[in-house]
Parts: sequence; C-alpha cells; structure tokens
Amino acid sequence: MSQQPAPMSHKTIPDFLLHAADKFPANAAILHAGKTMTYQEISSVALSQAAWLKSKKFGIGFRGAILSDDPFVYVAAYFAIQLAGGIVVGLNTQTSERSLKTVLVDSSSAILFTQQKFKRYLAGIADQLPALRHVVIDGESEQDDKDGKWLLRAITLGIDSHEKLPPVSPKDIAQLIYTSGTTGTPKGVMLSHANLVANTVSIVTYLRLTEDDRVMAVLPFFYSYGNSVLLTHFAVGASLVVNQNFLYPNVVLDQMVEHKVTGFSGVPSTFALLLHRSAIRKYHFPHLRYITQAGAAMSPKLAGQLNEVFPGVDVFIMYGQTEACARLSYLPPEDLQRKPGSIGKAIPGVTLRLLNRDGSPVAVREVGEIVAEGENVMSGYWQRQQETDEVLRPEGLWTGDLARSDDEGYLYIVSRKTDMIKSGSHRIAPKEIEEIIHEHEAVHEVAVVGMEDEILGETIKACIVLKPGQSCVEKELIRHCRQNLPAFKVPHKIVFFDELPKTSSGKIRKKELMAHSS
Amino acid sequence: MSEDIIKQIRSFIFENFLFDADDDSLKNDDSFLEQGVIDSTGVLELVDWLEETFDMKVEDEELIPENLDSVNRLSSFIAKKTQ
Repeated sequence: MSQQPAPMSHKTIPDFLLHAADKFPANAAILHAGKTMTYQEISSVALSQAAWLKSKKFGIGFRGAILSDDPFVYVAAYFAIQLAGGIVVGLNTQTSERSLKTVLVDSSSAILFTQQKFKRYLAGIADQLPALRHVVIDGESEQDDKDGKWLLRAITLGIDSHEKLPPVSPKDIAQLIYTSGTTGTPKGVMLSHANLVANTVSIVTYLRLTEDDRVMAVLPFFYSYGNSVLLTHFAVGASLVVNQNFLYPNVVLDQMVEHKVTGFSGVPSTFALLLHRSAIRKYHFPHLRYITQAGAAMSPKLAGQLNEVFPGVDVFIMYGQTEACARLSYLPPEDLQRKPGSIGKAIPGVTLRLLNRDGSPVAVREVGEIVAEGENVMSGYWQRQQETDEVLRPEGLWTGDLARSDDEGYLYIVSRKTDMIKSGSHRIAPKEIEEIIHEHEAVHEVAVVGMEDEILGETIKACIVLKPGQSCVEKELIRHCRQNLPAFKVPHKIVFFDELPKTSSGKIRKKELMAHSS
Repeated sequence: MSEDIIKQIRSFIFENFLFDADDDSLKNDDSFLEQGVIDSTGVLELVDWLEETFDMKVEDEELIPENLDSVNRLSSFIAKKTQ
C-alpha cells in the first residue's frame, strides 16, 4: 500500500511562489553571497518581469531560457516566465558556444535571461538564433545595440505588476529540461505544471518539509535534482542557502553552520568530496535534520561514514529521472542499514513495476526494467515523437534502468541499458564526445567510456585509433575537445590503441575498454 | 623565488585549464572561482600538483579560497608552507 501525498491546493508552479509570498512574506527565500531575498521581494520582481513579458507580446507557450549562476536572477526569471504563460528552459552554465546554440535552436527560445559574463558565448551565435527576440542581461553595462535585442534587466522591472497575467493551466508545459540522449543530441524533457506539482508535493510529504526548514542548495537549479530542491522548498515557504559551485567544500560547511541549515542535498560525488576533501569531521551541525542523495544507491561504507559525521541526521537515498521531474523512489532513513545498496520503494503517488521487454512482470528477485506510472511522468520529449514513443508506452515510463526487488519489494539497480557516463552530477552521452573527437583530422576511430572514480563516480576516457601516418598527442585532442565541449564533457584521459576490440558483428566492446587499465 | 613560483603556477593553470588563452586573460589577482577557470575537480588536480611539485602536504582545512583561489594566493600559500 503506497503512502499518499499530503493534500496541497497548488495547481501550477507559480502558485508555490505566490502562496509563500502571501503566507510567509518575510521568510528568506534565497540567501546567497551575503544577500537575502524574501518571498515578498522575489514575488514582486517576478510579477514585474512577467508583466513586462506580457507587454512585449510573449504569448502562452513561448520558451524563455535562463543562463545564470546568480540564484536571484535565475529564480526571478524562472517564475516570471511561467507567470507570463511561458516555458522555462534552464541552461547549463558550464557551456560552449556550440552547446548553447544547440539548445537555444532546438527550443526556439524567444528570450534569454542571462548575466554579463556569459555574453562571450552569445556574441558569436546571436545572429544564428532567429527565434531569439531579446537577451536580458543582469549587470551594469549600457544597452549596446540598435535593434533592442540586448537589454538590461532594469528594463524588465518597474512595470505595473498588477497587470492581469494570462491564466495558466496545470496541463500547460512549465519547463523543458535538456538531458543527454543516447544519440548524443540533447533532448528537451517536457514537464507540465501538473507533473512538477505532483512530484513536489510527494517529496514535501516524505521529507516532511515545513516553512522552518533551511536547505543548503549546492546543486544547480538547471538540473532536475536542483530544480526539485528549489520547488520543494518554495512549496512550503522554506529557505535556500545557495552556493552552487562547490569548489571549496569548507566554505559550504561554514555556511551550513552560519545559517543553521536543516537540510542538505547532494549526489554521490558531493558526499565523496565532503568526506575526503574537506574538514567536515571538525564541524558540528546541531540543526541538520535530513540529507538527501540521488544519482546512485549508497554503499554501506559511505552510509556508515555519513552516520559518523552527521550523527542522528536522517539520510534519504533517492532515485529518479529527469523524465519523472526528478523523483521516483526513496529509501527511508530507518532502512539505510537494513537494506544496503537499495533505492527503496516508489514515492507517494508513483507506481513502479519491474517488467520484461514484452511488458510482462518479472518474478521476485529477477531482473527487469523499471517502469513508472504517476502524475509526475513527463509529457514527452520536445518535438521528438519517435523518442517519446520509445519510452512512454502503455505500461508507463520505461526508464532504461534494470533492477531487481527483494521479498519486501525494495528495489536494487543492477545496471543501465545505455552506456551513459555519470560524472559528478552530470549525465553524459559518450556519443556526443565521440562525434567531436571524430571531427579531428588525425582520428580514425574513437570510443568514449566511463572509468570508475572515487570522487566523481566516473571520469571520461577516450580510446582512440589514429589514421595511418598521423601523429597526435593527447594534449592536442584535449585542446580540440576544450574548444568544442563544455569543460565537464572533456575527457580526463586519452588512450591510443592500434585497434579497438570488437564483436564479430563489428560493434565496439566498450566493457572491455572500461576494464582496460591504462 | 616568488617570481619563479608565480611563473610555475601560471604555466600549470594555462597548460591544464586555459590552454590557448592569451597570457593577459588571467591576472595574478583574478579569482579562479569568479572567472570560472577551474571546477571542483580542477581544485583537486591543483592540490595534487601542489603536493607533488612543492613536496608539501595540503591539509583538509587548508582547502579554502584564501589559500588557493588566485595565482597570488597560491604563491603566498606555497611560500608559507615551504619556508
């Protein structure tokens, strides 16, 4: 019998903000870099920007992109776009001209909210984005063109925020989250207001979040997990202490103490960094109530270490997919020691089944693909019907993750059907990197695989066969990747081979390359 | 001595993180964090390099921006640790 989500009156995502601003106007919504914005303040900025968008004739369903590592800019634009009836496209700030262009073109984004420092990526491609009408920049610089494409954020403020905004339906798409596809081209996961609200309410229920909570938010909001941390805390009027670069974990630990945070959310590499590359054992967190980890099950060793440094804190292991807004299952804290390596059971409002390829259920302990049903399952991939039909089938969302369950119904991931690399909080398609490397004139053949890594989970290894007579050093290929890929997709290691191991049908044996020690 | 160290640091940063960038694209006081020069794994690479090159041990509590977040800060940190 599955737990039911707590009732909540919210129908759309902006309802979270408006409700919190009404009920808890003075609560700190975002704390970042010594500055605080309350729910009242964020709501006022977002409403003003939404009114400006309406005045500029952005109609229902327009795509509004955000490229910003400033949480105040990001969050205000996020709600403004949705209040005006638009669809948010959150962009990865670790980017390249090429990656940015791909997503802006695919989504036909009509407006982009960004910061001065990202202009360097845009200047060279702005002419190749015909759908893009305005770029709104947060910063001090002057307006610098004649056709009004480049605007200062101040222009979007100071508009009468009481102007009537268009009605938004729960079925409307609220957000596209781009995720690496196996084809190498990122796909936009379409999430409706109803999808996101359902998932948010469910997570709020099992984490028992209230307006008194204060989470340390280290995950970027453009990711599904970071987006979920944002929405779950806005849904209850709680606070987010934001530091998303995680370059210096000790700084984050200081902030956790200073702001008396009650919650902390991370991926496996977050916890590996904290446990192995910070002074965490010298800190005490008397206010910390819960920790969440998604992205992988937790090893008994890591669980034990976390219990040691966070005594008495509830540790929630969670599993999900962008295609499900974020969350599909969780392992309750009380089961962490009893069910090591498990991703738990379905979250409230979701049903998970393990099925054979033909749709029939597998027997207990047998391996099957996780298939999910629930209000949180995406509406499809943006303008990709074929890919949508491949995963959204009559049985539900086919996740591509293979798992088995035990006698009590706890799930254990066994493997994935795809060869995606999981490095830190990133999900990386080898194909995209292979295509870029293949463009180099010296390369005959390439295969990209993940290598196990204590901190990141996996790092990227490129296995290369050069064309006859060609010589090419590792640094030259890395430089080529740097020019064309965001930093997190650049291989950590390049290994040269005379030939790549293959099956009799000519398919590269990637598992063999993963095991190859050099 | 300090100038040599600064040269070594700049050479490491350019070789591993900035590649073909112009030499004047990074000032010695520029914050690596604010300029987006390195990410969290870059910091780990940097620490490994410091420990190997200067035969020093970087303690967990020393992994803070005051020690690591610019060429000049790194230079002072190395000087302090190796004196």
